Amino acid sequence: MKKIFILCASIAVLAGAYSCTKLDVPVESQYVKSNFPVTDADYNALLGTIYSNLSSNYAVPYWRMQELSTDEAILPARDGNFDDGGQYRQLHYHTWTFDHPNVITIWQWGFGGVNTCNRIISLINASPSTEAKKASTIAEVRAMRALYNYFMMDLYGNIPLITEFPVATQPATQTRAKAYEYIESELKSVVQLLPAKTSANATLTYGRPTKAMAFALLEKMYLNAQVYTGTAKYTEAVAMADSVLKNTNYSLDAKYRDIFLPNNGPQINETIFAIPYDQQIPGNQFTRFGFFYYLVQAYGFNVGLSIAMSTTPEFYNRFNLAGDARTKTWLAGPQFAPDGNGGFTSQPVYYPGTTTQIVIEPKLTLVPGKPMDLGNTIASQSEGVRSMKYYPDPTIIQATRLNGNDVPVFRLADVMMMKAEAILRGAAATSVNGELQTPDVLINKIRARAGAPAVAGIDLAGLLDERAREFSWEAWRRNDLIRFGQYEVEYPLPNDVLTMNKDVNRRLFPIPAQEIKLNPNLVQNPGY
Amino acid sequence: MKQIYHRFINGLSHHSRQWIMLLCAIVFSVSPALSQTGRTIRGTVTDEKNQPLPGVSVLVAGTNTGVMTDVNGAYSLSVTGNIVTLKFSFIGYLPKDVKVGADNTVNVSLLPDARQLKDVVVIGYGTSSKKDVTGAITSVKAEEFNAGVLTTPAELLQGKVAGLNITKSGDPNKQPATILRGPSTLREGAAQQPFYVIDGVPGASIDLLAPADIESIDVLKDASSTAIYGSRAANGVIIVTTRRSRAGQTRLTYSAYGAMEKVSKSIDMLTADELRKYLADNGVAPLAKPLDDDGSNTNWQQLAQKTSYSQNHNLSYSGAGNNAEYGASVNYFKNDGILKNTSLERTIFKGYINQRFFNDKLKLGITITNSGTKSDDIVQSQVLSGILFYLPTVSPFNPDGSYKENFARTGSGTLNPLSLIDNNFIKTDNNKTLINGFASVDILKGLKFTLNGSTQKDQNNVNTYFNSKSGLAVGLGGVANRTAYKSTSDVVEAFLNYDREFGLHSVKLLGGYSYQQDRTNDGFGVQTQGFSNDNLTFNNLFLSNPSNLAQIKFDPNYISTLRLISYYGRVQYQYNDKYLFQASLREDGSSAFGINQRHGYFPAASVGWRIISEKFMEKLPVISDLKLRAGYGVSGNSLGFDAFTAQLIYGIPPGGGKFLNNGVITNPIGPVRNDNPDLKWESTATTNIGLDFGLFNNRLTGSVDYYIKKTSDLIYTYQVSTTQYFYPLLTANVGKIKNSGIEVVLNAIPVKSKSFTWRTSFNVSHNKNVVESLSNATFAVNNIQSAQLGGKGQSGNYSQVIQPGYAIGTYYLWHYLGKNANGVSTYQKADGSTTAAQPLTTDQRITGNAQPKFVYGWSNSFNYKSFDFNFLVRGVYGNQILNATLASLNNPADSKFQNIPRFTLGESFKDINGYLISDRFLESGSYLRLDNATLGYTIRPNVKAIKNIRLYLSGNNIFVITKYRGVDPEINIGGLTPGIDNKDFYPKTRTFSVGVTASF
Repeated sequence: MKKIFILCASIAVLAGAYSCTKLDVPVESQYVKSNFPVTDADYNALLGTIYSNLSSNYAVPYWRMQELSTDEAILPARDGNFDDGGQYRQLHYHTWTFDHPNVITIWQWGFGGVNTCNRIISLINASPSTEAKKASTIAEVRAMRALYNYFMMDLYGNIPLITEFPVATQPATQTRAKAYEYIESELKSVVQLLPAKTSANATLTYGRPTKAMAFALLEKMYLNAQVYTGTAKYTEAVAMADSVLKNTNYSLDAKYRDIFLPNNGPQINETIFAIPYDQQIPGNQFTRFGFFYYLVQAYGFNVGLSIAMSTTPEFYNRFNLAGDARTKTWLAGPQFAPDGNGGFTSQPVYYPGTTTQIVIEPKLTLVPGKPMDLGNTIASQSEGVRSMKYYPDPTIIQATRLNGNDVPVFRLADVMMMKAEAILRGAAATSVNGELQTPDVLINKIRARAGAPAVAGIDLAGLLDERAREFSWEAWRRNDLIRFGQYEVEYPLPNDVLTMNKDVNRRLFPIPAQEIKLNPNLVQNPGY
Repeated sequence: MKQIYHRFINGLSHHSRQWIMLLCAIVFSVSPALSQTGRTIRGTVTDEKNQPLPGVSVLVAGTNTGVMTDVNGAYSLSVTGNIVTLKFSFIGYLPKDVKVGADNTVNVSLLPDARQLKDVVVIGYGTSSKKDVTGAITSVKAEEFNAGVLTTPAELLQGKVAGLNITKSGDPNKQPATILRGPSTLREGAAQQPFYVIDGVPGASIDLLAPADIESIDVLKDASSTAIYGSRAANGVIIVTTRRSRAGQTRLTYSAYGAMEKVSKSIDMLTADELRKYLADNGVAPLAKPLDDDGSNTNWQQLAQKTSYSQNHNLSYSGAGNNAEYGASVNYFKNDGILKNTSLERTIFKGYINQRFFNDKLKLGITITNSGTKSDDIVQSQVLSGILFYLPTVSPFNPDGSYKENFARTGSGTLNPLSLIDNNFIKTDNNKTLINGFASVDILKGLKFTLNGSTQKDQNNVNTYFNSKSGLAVGLGGVANRTAYKSTSDVVEAFLNYDREFGLHSVKLLGGYSYQQDRTNDGFGVQTQGFSNDNLTFNNLFLSNPSNLAQIKFDPNYISTLRLISYYGRVQYQYNDKYLFQASLREDGSSAFGINQRHGYFPAASVGWRIISEKFMEKLPVISDLKLRAGYGVSGNSLGFDAFTAQLIYGIPPGGGKFLNNGVITNPIGPVRNDNPDLKWESTATTNIGLDFGLFNNRLTGSVDYYIKKTSDLIYTYQVSTTQYFYPLLTANVGKIKNSGIEVVLNAIPVKSKSFTWRTSFNVSHNKNVVESLSNATFAVNNIQSAQLGGKGQSGNYSQVIQPGYAIGTYYLWHYLGKNANGVSTYQKADGSTTAAQPLTTDQRITGNAQPKFVYGWSNSFNYKSFDFNFLVRGVYGNQILNATLASLNNPADSKFQNIPRFTLGESFKDINGYLISDRFLESGSYLRLDNATLGYTIRPNVKAIKNIRLYLSGNNIFVITKYRGVDPEINIGGLTPGIDNKDFYPKTRTFSVGVTASF
C-alpha cells in the first residue's frame, strides 16, 4: 500500500515538474522581434513612424521654439494661468535654459527621428525586397533623415551626426559647418533617386520627400549658408530654386486662404512638402491655442479653447497693405460672423449672454505683479491679435482640440521669395521656363495672388516684411530674423519688468542637460 | 408554545438516540473485528462548563472501533476485553485517553485547547505554533476583526497589526492602500501592496472573500517568514484562512447587519447669501443674473451626498463526519456610497467538500468560490472638485427642468455637479470564480505529499455612458464605452512535508514546486458616440452614429501572459523546545524579466531561543514566557508587472498619431519599448530581531520587533539616449530604498473574573523611510519630481520629490512668508529674498514629508456575563498632509465665478497669491480616531437546536481628534505621491450598524 502511495506521489511530482519547467510564453498579442516586420505593409508601417513622429511635435513645440522666440507670436500668462513654469516667457525674453521643456522635447523628437531613420535603413537592408525597391526606399528615408538633421542643425547648431543604428560609441558633437556639409552631401546624393511630382502622383508623393523637397531644403541651406558656415552660397540658392521652379506641376494657388484650410492636401498646387494633420494625425492645435475662445459658436463649433496666444502689436502692424488677403488671417477689431468664404457678414458677434460686441485689441498691456501676465478679465482676454490662418476645423472635439489643417514646411512661394532674397544678396537673376525672374517679378507674383499692390524696387528690408506677411506663423520667423540680424530686436510691452537677453549666443538653443548626462561626448553650446 | 417545543425536541432526541444506535449497529456490523461476546460502555462527554459535547470522537485504542457522541454528548460503544483505553478527541479540545476497567459507564469532561485555538500560526505551506515561530508574524483571529461595513481583509486589520499602515476613504469601490513597514518600491499599484494567499492559493483575489467566512488572517512581515513566497513577497504576505467545519460538528450560522452611513465632515463653503455679501463688501460687481445668480442657495456638497444604507447577510452551514467534511456559504453585501450613484453590490457563493480515503491516508478536496460584484460609480475627479467650487448662487435646474449650465464660465467650477452625477455613469460588472482542489497523501510516518491545483477566472466588464446632456460630452449625442476582459490564473503547487521528532530533536522539512500562469486582458474595449436618444445607454453600440473614424476608439490593452515557476525548500529544527532554527530557499523563474535574469534566489534563515524553557528561568516565576528571535532573508518584488516589460515591442508610438500613406490614414508601427535582457526583480533584504514575552502567567504578553529592510535594484523607467536605444525610456534596475523601524505590541488581561473580563491590546510602530540612491554607473537622476497637482497657474509644477537622503512623499514647495502690508501672500525666493509675486519653480524647497512617525492602535474588549463591549482607538502621528484642496479654494479674486470656503473670509481680498500651493497648506496629519465601538449581547437559549444568538450595535468613526483642516486626515498613504489632498477625496463616513449572529 505504502509503495503505491510513494509511486503515485513520485509520478505526480515528476509529471508536474517535467511539463511545467519552461518559462517561455507564446506571444499572442504584440509585435515583437519574432513576428515583425515581415510583409510590405509592415515595412510601410515602419516608415510611417518617421512621419507620425514628424507630425507629433512640429506644429506645437518645434513651432513654439521658432515662433515664440520672435515677435511673430507671444503666449502671455493670464492671471497666473498659462505661466506653465515660465516656458513661454522664457522664449519671449530669450531666457530659456537647458531644462526648457521644448528644448528637451525637440532634441528627443529630432534625434528620435534620425534614429528611427537609421533603424529603418538597417531593417530595409536586411529585408528580402528587390534592390531597386530598397534603393528608392532608402533614398526616401535618407531624405527624411536630412530634414530632421536640418531642423536640429538650425535650432541647436552643433549637433552629433548619427549615421547608423545602433552606434558603437556615443556620437560626439560636430560643428555646425560639419553638420551642414553632411546634410548637403546626403541631399545631393539622394535627390536623383527621389520621385518628381507629376500630374499623376500628387497624392502618392504628398507629405513625402520628392526631388523638389530636396531642392527646396538645399535652397534654404544655401540661403542661410552665411549663418550656418560663414560662407555665402547665394548663386547655389538660386540654382536650387530654379530646379523647383522648372517643374510646372507646382504653381501658386489662386486663393491664399485655401493653402491653410482644414481640407488642404494634395490638391494645393504650391505645396512642396507639408506635414499632414487630421483628427487622427494629432499635433496641430492652432485653433486651441491661437483662436479666440468667445468666437467659437459663431464659427460653428462648441469647444473650450485656451485664451492665451496671439501675435505682438508690432508684428501685426506690418499687415498694412490695401486689399491684402493675408491680413484677413488675423482676428482684430470688432468681430462679425464669418460668411464661410473668407469674408464676414454684418452680424456682430457678442460676448456670451450680453449684447456687447467682441472687439479684439492688438495691444498687450501687462498687469504688474506677475511676469508677462495680461490678467484674466474679459477686457484683458480680448487683448492680442488672434489667428485663423489655419482656419478652425469644424470637426474639432473637446477631448483632443485638434486641427486637421496640414502645415506646410516648404511651399512654392518660399522657393520664389528665397530666390528673390538670394538675388538681392548678390546672386544673378535667372530665367525659368523663358521668364527672367528678378526679385520684383517674383515678389509681385506673390503680391498679386494676395490682392496686394505691386512693388517696384524691393529691398532687403521690404523683403523681410513681405516674408512676415506671407509666412506668418509658418515657423520660419526665427530663421529669417537671425539671417537679417534682427533676432535680438526687442519690443517692450507696457509695464514690462523683464527684459530680453540679447546675447547672440542665444541664436542657438542649448543642448538639454539630461542629454549631456546620458551622452558625455556631447558639448554644450557657448553661453549656456 | 414553549412546552410544545420542548416536548418536540425531547421527543426528537429520544428517537434520534435510537436512530444513532441503529446506525452504529449497521456501521460496525461490517467490521469483522467486532466480537459478539463483548460488553457495552456508555457515557456522556461534556465540556468545561458541563455542557454536553456532541460530535466527539470516541475510539477504542488500537482498533478501528469508534463512535461519535450524539446531540446530548452521549455515546455507547461495544468493546471486547477487560481493560481497554478509550481515546476521546474533538477539535478545539485537548484529547483525553481514559483507561476503562470494569466500569461500563464512563463520563468524560474535555478541556478546551487554548493553544490550538489561538496559537496556530500559518507560515506558508504549513502551520506552526506561535511559540515555535522565529519570524515576525502577526496572527489575527476572526473574533478580533474590526466590525462595520468592511469588505477587504485589510480593513478587518486596520489598527490591529503593528507595521501595517492602511488608509481608506469612504468610497465603496476603492480598495484601501495597504503599506507594510514602509514603501519599498518606485512602482505604484499592485507593486506596493502585500501579497495575498487565500487558503493556500497564492495571488488569489481578495474580492472572493466574505469577511464573515474568514477564520483568521496571518500577516508575514519579515523576509525570514516571507521568503518562502520568493519574488512576490517583499511587501509582506497576508495569508487568509477561511472557516472550515470541525470533526463531528454540524453548524448552521446566519449573520447579518444593516448599517447607516453619513458623511463625517464636509468642507465649510460659503452659502449663496454669504458669497453675495462677500462680493458686495469687496466692491465686486454682482454676479450676472440669472446666468450666475438666479437667487438660489444651493449646497452642492449636500446635493451630491446622501445617507446610505448598507447590508450584509451571510448564511453558512457545514458538517464533518468520519471521512468527509463539507460546507457551503452564501454572502450578500450591498454598500451604497454616500455620494449619489456610487455603490457596490456583491454576492459570494462558496462550497467545499473534502473526503478521506484509505484509513485517512489520502485526502481529496475541492472548494469552489464565486464572487459577483456590481459597482456604480461617477466621474469622481470632476464631481469632487465641482461640489466645492461650483457657485452656490445657481440652481441645479433651469425653470424648464433641464440642468442649468454655463460652459463659458471660467475658474474651477465650470460644470454643474449634479448634472455630472446624473448624466455620466460608470458601471462595472465583475465575476470571479476560484476552483481550488487538493490531494494530500500520508506516505510514511511524518511524510506527507500535497498537490494543490487552482484556477481563477475573472471577467471584468466596465461600461461607461456620458449621455447627451453631459457637460463632458457636449454635442456628441451620448458617448458609450464598453470593455470586457477576461483574466485567468492557474496555479499548481506540489510539496512534501516531513515532520518528525527524535527524542529532543524536532525536524520539519518542506520541499516543493510551484507553477503559476496568469493570463490577463483577454478581451477588448470600444468607444463610440452619437445616439438618437439616451434610452439604451451603452447597450446597443450598433445604433451609434460616429461622424468620423476618430470618434470610434479601441482600447490599447493586449493579452499579457506571465509564467512563474518556482522550487522551494525549508528546514525547521528545534532542540529541546529551547533552540529554534529555520532556513528556507526559493528559486523563482519568471517570464516577466530579462532573458539573462529570469531566475532569482531568495534565501532566508532565522533562529529563536525560548529562554523561558531554560532552567534558570524557574527562579523568575513572574516571567511566564520569553523568546528571542532573529532572522535575515531576501524576498523579491515582481508584482504589478506586464509580461512584456523586458522585451522589444513594436506598436503604435505614443500619442497614437497616424500617418498619411498614399492618401490613406494608416497606423505607423515602431518600437514602443526597449528590451532590457538584464531586467530583474527588486530585492528586499530584511533583518528582523524580536523579543516575545509574557508576565504574570501570561496575563501580560507582548513583543518588540526591530527591523532593517533594504531594497535594492529598484525598478524605474529611466530616460536613455536615443542614439543608442530604440526608445527614449528604459525600464531598468537602479536605486535603493531603506526602511527601518520598531514595532511594539502589548496584550493584557487586566481583569478576569467569573463574570467580567477585560482584554486590551496596544500596538505601535515606527518606520523610517529613506531613498538611498536613484543612480548607478549607467543611469543617473538626481531626483524624480512627482505630484503634479495642477492648480491655477501651476500646471507644470511638482509638489513632491523623490531624492536620495529623503523619504518617499517628501514635499517640495514654495515657502510661505506671511502677508505683506497689502495683505498679499509673500514667498521666499531661492536667493532668500521675499516676493509678493508668484515664485518660480526654482524657488521650491524640500519641506516635510507624508510618512508618519508612529502608527498605533488600541483595542479593548469587555465581557460581562452575556454582554460584550469592544472598542478600537487608532491613529497616526507625525505625518504631514498637503491640503491642496484648501489652497485651490483660497482664491478671493475668483469668487466672482467660483465659491470660496469660510477660511478665505479671513484673507485679504487683494491677496492675488493666496491659492498658490505652498508650505502654508502643509498641515499636521496626526489623528486619533475612535474607529469602532461595539456593544453585543449573546443569548444562549436553553434549547438544544440553538447554540447562541449574538445581537450587537456598532459605530464606526465615532470621532476623530485632529488639527487637519480638510475633510479627514486619513489621506491615501499609498503610491508615489502619498499624503496629498487635492480635491479628490471621497469623504470618509460615519457608520452605525445593527447586527446579529446566530449559530445553530
